[in-house]
Amino acid sequence: MTSAEATAHYFKKAARIMDVGERIETLLAAPLREVKVQVSIELDNGEIRTFDGYRVQHDNSRGPMKGGLRYHPEVDSDEVLSLASLMTWKTAVVNLPFGGAKGGIRVDPIGLSSKELERLTRKFVDQIQDIIGPTRDIPAPDVNTNPQVMAWIMDQYSKYHGHSPAVVTGKPIDLYGSRGREAATGRGLLYIAREIARDVGLPVKGTRFAVQGFGNVGSHAARLVHEDGGIIVAVSDVNGGVKNPKGLDVPALFDHARKTGSVKGFGGGVPCGSEELLTCDCDVLIPAALGSVLTRSVAAEVRAKIILEGANAPCTPEADEVFEKKGVLVVPDILANAGGVTVSYFEWVQNLQHVTWDEDRVNTELEKLMREAYERVANISRTRKLPLRTSAYVLAIGRVGKATVLRGI
Amino acid sequence: MLDQLMKLPMCKGLSQGEATELASIARESQAKKGTVLFAQGAHGDSILVVLEGQIEVSMSGQTLAQVGEGSVLGEMSLLGEGGKRTATATVLSDARLLEIDAARFQELLKTSHLAALKVVANLAQVMSKRLLAMNEKLIEGNKGKKEELADFQKILSNWSF
Repeated sequence: MTSAEATAHYFKKAARIMDVGERIETLLAAPLREVKVQVSIELDNGEIRTFDGYRVQHDNSRGPMKGGLRYHPEVDSDEVLSLASLMTWKTAVVNLPFGGAKGGIRVDPIGLSSKELERLTRKFVDQIQDIIGPTRDIPAPDVNTNPQVMAWIMDQYSKYHGHSPAVVTGKPIDLYGSRGREAATGRGLLYIAREIARDVGLPVKGTRFAVQGFGNVGSHAARLVHEDGGIIVAVSDVNGGVKNPKGLDVPALFDHARKTGSVKGFGGGVPCGSEELLTCDCDVLIPAALGSVLTRSVAAEVRAKIILEGANAPCTPEADEVFEKKGVLVVPDILANAGGVTVSYFEWVQNLQHVTWDEDRVNTELEKLMREAYERVANISRTRKLPLRTSAYVLAIGRVGKATVLRGI
Repeated sequence: MLDQLMKLPMCKGLSQGEATELASIARESQAKKGTVLFAQGAHGDSILVVLEGQIEVSMSGQTLAQVGEGSVLGEMSLLGEGGKRTATATVLSDARLLEIDAARFQELLKTSHLAALKVVANLAQVMSKRLLAMNEKLIEGNKGKKEELADFQKILSNWSF
């Protein structure tokens, strides 16, 4: 099962437990709009190249649609649709006034110059500017897109519609971006870790964490957990990893990563492969790199008692079943990594109100929303005796369903 | 043949003599397994009574019913509303049939022939029953739709988010 199929699988599982009926299930699963465009640009060498661009808007019953924009050679309409629906459920779990969307361009950005990327982005905006907007659909950074790309989107969109910083989030701090946005997903993971720690009586302080991935999510999660007194026993990135059962010196690890571009080769521990990390001796595992890394066979070897899904869909549904049988608590992606989209929401709010929040306010509001979401999900899990993932989907379906019914079908 | 004719709902109340007169405009025939008696969309100008065998009634390739002895097919044609056949009738097992020509029946009706009038009255009854059943089905169908949404709302409140 691909990670795209996994979202549909989890949605169906929850919808059937709720017994919503086949037609309501179809209504909730079907996207509002799927757009495909051909984006043609002139490369620096004068060649003309055409790329497929997608934007799928899944549901807008709870508000303007929200979701990332990725540049990747394997982007296709099925993947984008599945990720768009994932955003609908994610924004609903944290109760943001948003629906779900996702988009992308089928391109390998490594082969493009910065100027070519800018032309590609602006041309793509030319073709979708009439379906996005601060009250319609608000893109954000995703795989291979960053604050600079968001700045180009804002600029190009504003040429058509006038000054519109709220058309996109994840912008640079110096151009209407929000403080705390970069660390938001990692910080959200910490807040969830604190909540679950309270529930199972395992305080963050002194608990052993292993973090797979040292990018935007994993690095901040490791830093913040460490600051909270947690012990980071292993980290890894694409190049390799390092482990130390007594705990890694995280500030020194950051220095090493800054200098070398990787956590590999850090002296404060022994080398540890990315896969080996998943089954290392720890209490909490944070897979924050790629999807589908925890398969059925890996899951059987996992020693952690709690898994916080920093990445989207790191567990396959088969692995999910193994964890359920083993009694491993899995905090699902649509709850665990929702900190990113939550601070994106704060960025949108600040842009619409023409104000700037300080970082403390961003973090306080983030903690409030993450805690509320966790409590709701945990409550459904307790009272209905369901896994956290199913409970999160149930909560999301409930919220989207209510909005849909209230608006009228 | 006369006995079987008199047992049909559309011949209810017919005397022996009246039934004999009706039988005089009917023609008995045999049909082998696999024969298509009439096809959907074809012009219909007769009514068929199944005396023996099994007939499949289908619409656009989908089976609607399998009927046997005593069943009547194409009765609308007797009322002068023959028009096009709304379904296809195929013989499933070798059958014996009674065919009443619609034009000849209309002639009987024009001369206020009692047998023909009784048959028309009986057919009207059969059809009004069908209409009633159809109305109920329609109401049931609409109710189903309304309940689907109401059920969903009930589910949402039961789960208390």
